[in-house]
Amino acid sequence: MPASPLPPPLPPDEAQRLQVLLDLNILDTASEERFDRITRMAARLFGVPVAFVSLIDADRQWFKSRVGTTLAETHRAHSFCAHTILQDGVMVVEDATCDKRFADSPIVTDLGVRFYAGYPLSAPDGSRIGTVCILDMSPRILDDEQRDLLRDLAGMVANEIAAAELRRAHDRRSENDAWLHGLLEHIPDGVLMLDRAGSVICGNPAAEHMFGSDTGGLAGRTGASLLGEDAVLLLEPEHSPDAPPQEGGGLRLDGSTFPIEVKVAPMCLVGQQRYAVIVRDVTQQHEIAERNRATEERRHKHFTTATHELRTPMASILGFSELLLKRDFDPSTSRELVDIIHRQASRLVELINQLLDLARIEAGGTDALNIGNVNVAELVDQTLSGLNGLGQNHRIRTELEDGMPRIAADQPKMQQALTNIVSNAIKYSSEGSLIDISAAALHRNAKLMVAIRVADRGIGMTPEQQARIFDAFYRAGESQNVQGSGLGMTIFKEIIELHGGHVDIESRPGAGTAVTVWLPALPDHG
Amino acid sequence: MDNKTILIVEDQDDLRLLIRLSLKSLGRIVLASSAAQGLEMVRAEKPDLVTLDVWLGKGDSGLDVCRAIKSDPETRHVKVVLLSACGQQSDVEAGMAAGADHYIVKPFSPQSLGEAAATLLGA
Repeated sequence: MPASPLPPPLPPDEAQRLQVLLDLNILDTASEERFDRITRMAARLFGVPVAFVSLIDADRQWFKSRVGTTLAETHRAHSFCAHTILQDGVMVVEDATCDKRFADSPIVTDLGVRFYAGYPLSAPDGSRIGTVCILDMSPRILDDEQRDLLRDLAGMVANEIAAAELRRAHDRRSENDAWLHGLLEHIPDGVLMLDRAGSVICGNPAAEHMFGSDTGGLAGRTGASLLGEDAVLLLEPEHSPDAPPQEGGGLRLDGSTFPIEVKVAPMCLVGQQRYAVIVRDVTQQHEIAERNRATEERRHKHFTTATHELRTPMASILGFSELLLKRDFDPSTSRELVDIIHRQASRLVELINQLLDLARIEAGGTDALNIGNVNVAELVDQTLSGLNGLGQNHRIRTELEDGMPRIAADQPKMQQALTNIVSNAIKYSSEGSLIDISAAALHRNAKLMVAIRVADRGIGMTPEQQARIFDAFYRAGESQNVQGSGLGMTIFKEIIELHGGHVDIESRPGAGTAVTVWLPALPDHG
Repeated sequence: MDNKTILIVEDQDDLRLLIRLSLKSLGRIVLASSAAQGLEMVRAEKPDLVTLDVWLGKGDSGLDVCRAIKSDPETRHVKVVLLSACGQQSDVEAGMAAGADHYIVKPFSPQSLGEAAATLLGA
């Protein structure tokens, strides 16, 4: 048994060299004609039985291409090539049996190899990753011309490796481009590229959609025609790309306008001055801000009106009590004045209670509701019992469908809502006239609902009055003859909407008013 | 001062009575409950002083009545006291800008109203 040969020393850049080889993604790949044709050429040109393109891995040499052997790899310790990569230029072993580095190698002792010549194979960065080599079974010498030939063959293989690496880099770049392209295609903000003069070079689909353009339809238009003249000032060199987005008016191709926010960043593309423009359609943000402003204005108006409404009864209470304290009145006048004070104090209390009710209902939302299964016929009966004190119930006619589904409702609140509309019907119609209350299960928008309708034959309302009926403190006709806070309908509507219901109003001046409340029916009848 | 005429324009019955009781010692009192009636009576009665409610109901404003009185050469000498439940500085400024001679915020003291009216009538 021959002694094991000394393993070949490692090159000083071994770790780096191995990393480069690994990154080439060439190890253990299939054979390729572009390498095989060079190996075949080497075997023929030199008249040798065996030729390789050998790559030196950490502990093996692996053959990317081979002629004259079926071996795919051998141990690095037995490798001639592991020595070749330690040096510059061709390494020749004329007779391996006379070279103590290889004399005991199984390649020599078992396979009968006597001659070896190899040239180091360099990766694009110069790392020696392997060799192109030829082997023979008898000793040989290599003249200078043949040495040059082997060098040239190694150069050809190195070129093929470099070409593969270039292709991979190109593929990687294409993949990056695909990412960027995909991002621009799907980003919801509009992105435009403008040239030095401020004309559009291209825009992403979001920008085209925003401006109402077909694909490619923005190219060639001026930035000013889309973004407005003000936005073009952002192209001035003194404009900082870090400045907050500028608000402006966008112009669609059809001439319509919409609010936008614009940011501009100058850039240099292949030596040309360009601008990247990001456009955001802020219509929704504007609508939300407008809604908030309107709510705030309504709150303020509500507050002002509430203050006004509270001061009016207070004026009577304070004024008449001062008169009673400071002056002498005959007993009947005194009594009349005390009566006014009492009436206005009651009104003040009613107003305060209703304001608190409304505030509670508005603030509590659906959480404040104590929902139960409410029988609609019982609800109407209870509402009418509560109104008995007005002495007007003889005017009320009810027509309630049998077996109506129940509704999910807060019973006391729903009774309050119905009380408000029935008492309005009583207040705004003449003493002798009839008031009809009917209730039935009906479909509305394909949903089963219970409709409760209260119809009077009273003074009715103009369309203008109808439009304001749910405004706090609004009173149709502002009639002196009708007592009330002006909050009844506001509270009524809040309660109905909290229950997921709807209100329909039909009214004609002089003919009367009908209010229909639609409430979602519960599925189980009973 | 018995020869003075005072017009009260107020849509609320109770307050009309209160103002009447507050001012009755100052002269003859005439009453109106709406803007239109008020303007009509300014022209017909030629009062020396008018108390005007600012919110007259039906969307009518006492400020409009005040402006009408003060822009008509026949009536611009008539003293106008605005009475309003709107007591913010901006409300008072709007009242004075409409030409009012005095602005009183509800609730008010009948005695103060009487004193203010007496001062305006004596001036």
